[in-house]
Amino acid sequence: MTDAVMIPRATDHAVRWTGTLLVAAVLAFALLGPLAVPGDPFAQSLLKALAGPEAGAPLGYDHLGRSIFHRLAHALRLSPAIALAAVLTAGLAGLILGTLAAARGGWTDRVLVTLADALLALPGLLLVLIVLGIVPGTALGFWAGLSLVLWVEFFRLTRAATRDTLASPAVQASRLLGFGPAYVFRTHIWPEIALMMLTTAAFGTATAIMAIAALGFVHVGMRAPTPELGLMMVELLPYWREAPLALLSPVIATFALLLGLTLSAGSRTP
Amino acid sequence: MTLLKAEDITVADGATRILHPVSLYLDSGEPLVILGETGSGKSLLAQALMGTLPGELSARGRVAIGDRLLDAARPEGFRMLWGRDIAVLPQEPWLSLDPLMRADRQVSEAHRLVRGPGAAEARDRTADDFRRLDLTGAGQRYPHELSGGMAQRVAIAAARAGGARIVIADEPTKGLDAARRDGVADLLLAELSRGGGLLVITHDLALARRIGGRLIVLRDGQVVETGPTATVMAAPVQPYTRDLIAADPDNWPARKPVTGGATVLTATGLAAERGGARLFTGLSFDLGEGRIMGVTGPSGCGKSTLGDVMLGLVPAAAGRVEPAPALPRTAFQKLYQDPVAAFPRHRALGRTLADVARRHGQGQDRIGALLPRLGLAPVLLSRRPAAVSGGELQRLALLRLLLVRPKFIFADEPTSRLDPITQKQVIALLCDTSETEGCAVMLVSHDPALVSRTADHVLSLGPAPVDADVTPRDIAAALQ
Repeated sequence: MTDAVMIPRATDHAVRWTGTLLVAAVLAFALLGPLAVPGDPFAQSLLKALAGPEAGAPLGYDHLGRSIFHRLAHALRLSPAIALAAVLTAGLAGLILGTLAAARGGWTDRVLVTLADALLALPGLLLVLIVLGIVPGTALGFWAGLSLVLWVEFFRLTRAATRDTLASPAVQASRLLGFGPAYVFRTHIWPEIALMMLTTAAFGTATAIMAIAALGFVHVGMRAPTPELGLMMVELLPYWREAPLALLSPVIATFALLLGLTLSAGSRTP
Repeated sequence: MTLLKAEDITVADGATRILHPVSLYLDSGEPLVILGETGSGKSLLAQALMGTLPGELSARGRVAIGDRLLDAARPEGFRMLWGRDIAVLPQEPWLSLDPLMRADRQVSEAHRLVRGPGAAEARDRTADDFRRLDLTGAGQRYPHELSGGMAQRVAIAAARAGGARIVIADEPTKGLDAARRDGVADLLLAELSRGGGLLVITHDLALARRIGGRLIVLRDGQVVETGPTATVMAAPVQPYTRDLIAADPDNWPARKPVTGGATVLTATGLAAERGGARLFTGLSFDLGEGRIMGVTGPSGCGKSTLGDVMLGLVPAAAGRVEPAPALPRTAFQKLYQDPVAAFPRHRALGRTLADVARRHGQGQDRIGALLPRLGLAPVLLSRRPAAVSGGELQRLALLRLLLVRPKFIFADEPTSRLDPITQKQVIALLCDTSETEGCAVMLVSHDPALVSRTADHVLSLGPAPVDADVTPRDIAAALQ
């Protein structure tokens, strides 16, 4: 029986590490790449349109003669930054509201659950699009829209786990011993949900990056000339025959980043 | 006639031996009881005899069943005996019945599949079984419509449908109160009288005494003492057996009753409900410093709810609970049935205790001073709750309460999951605490003997609640 439990755990560990390394590699490219090979992601040189790799542009040039290496590095900073900001906001909101709903119960709980269920009923991308239409500034709109979509899962997980924990004899004992809500949260609730939150955050980041890329791909996300993963793919799609490497670069980078995040999250049931 | 003979049975987990050589035999008509605490290896012994050990454990030794000789190291050889020669009575049998199948079909299915008679004959045999076990009319019911005792009889009928002559019952009385426990013992003995052998594995001295026959006492995987049950019970030879028997609440010396003491808590006309049903009404009693009130009653009668009402965790449906003035809220504490569930499970015990000491302005040295008083080793403090034995953890829970200087402790079946010797220690410490700290204790237990030896006054809950301040002995008699 112990063997049956131990073996998947070991592979699970390896999988998580592979994912983390993959994410680290992509981020290292985004942050350190432009330092190693200085260049401007916006500078055009139409003579070099779709030209192959060279010293100043290790991944070649796009249809407008811009260095794909630098555009990709820029894009790989933008999407994860927005995604991370959205996940942090959503995680914090979900954590606070979930704990509140579980602790207070009654009307607070009912109102918050209804709100979360109502948001779940809307397709996530549609919600992001609506918010993008309302909020000025695309990056800000993405942050707001994605936060609005992502908090629901954090909320539901926190609420469910916190409700069970709060009903346990351990919490009752702590309260009888004179401890307040802060102590109960720190010693009982947080250790129960921390790992779960981390897993959800990794999945959430992947979802957010994918959403930004998907909307960019259909021309309703980031606006040109901002380098963004989805936008780069759709811009380079017509030239796939002439410059396959140019199209493959953003595809491979996106795939590596999403795969890394998903692997690092491990299984959904930690 | 010898039905089963086992020689030099050992069980090992890799290189560590967890059961040292045990030899035993089972005669028809004479029950054999294997008695031991949790972790003594008694269940492993039974599993080795049946060939059902978990995969990572390996057994050695020879088992002769009827005219077959089997090697304990090759469990697959036992398979063909299951149901035909050996029947196993599962722990908590009502959980082993199929909830979606009527009672008679569960038994006739076993008849049909194990021995293979036709459907009509299987039905006839089932009807015979039901008549014999006094289950007439219960055949069309689903398990949830059966009482606990009936479910147990159905499970026995199903287990024996294959005509097995050897019945192995592993902890058949787990989680039962005294009356139900005797019912199970009588049922097993009745089955034995039909011919065949009975092997009972238990930690319950009362069950062992009632089953009789021969006794093997196990401890840490080793045989401590063997002999006729009545002889061993009356005159144990080994010190461990003596301790074990002395730890039976029936054999405890009665505690010196405490009278007087300032009142800590007064209940007047108390009533409580659960799910709209009245649990009890009109309870009035005082709890005095240093006095212990025993609370008994069948399961589901509201013992735990009463405690929660006293502690202010659940509102009373009627009546009042009045604590003595000038006592802080934290003077009212609870000792839980499952100590593992009462500690934050991700925190080392020492940190939890240090938090409590700090919250109540006590120095860390007080924890160090209390540890030896409760017979606890300091090394336990670095562990998490799940890595400490139940008895130690319950004592740590008591230590945690002492840091608060409680005036009232509601002890909700604090020893029902502990072994007899540990139970005796914990209850003795609780009595001691009550005396030295001047603390009122409300001790819930389903064991009338334990309550009658410990409590100064007894409250018996049930369909017709008996008022408090009846002497313990009367209550014990009334319960039996």
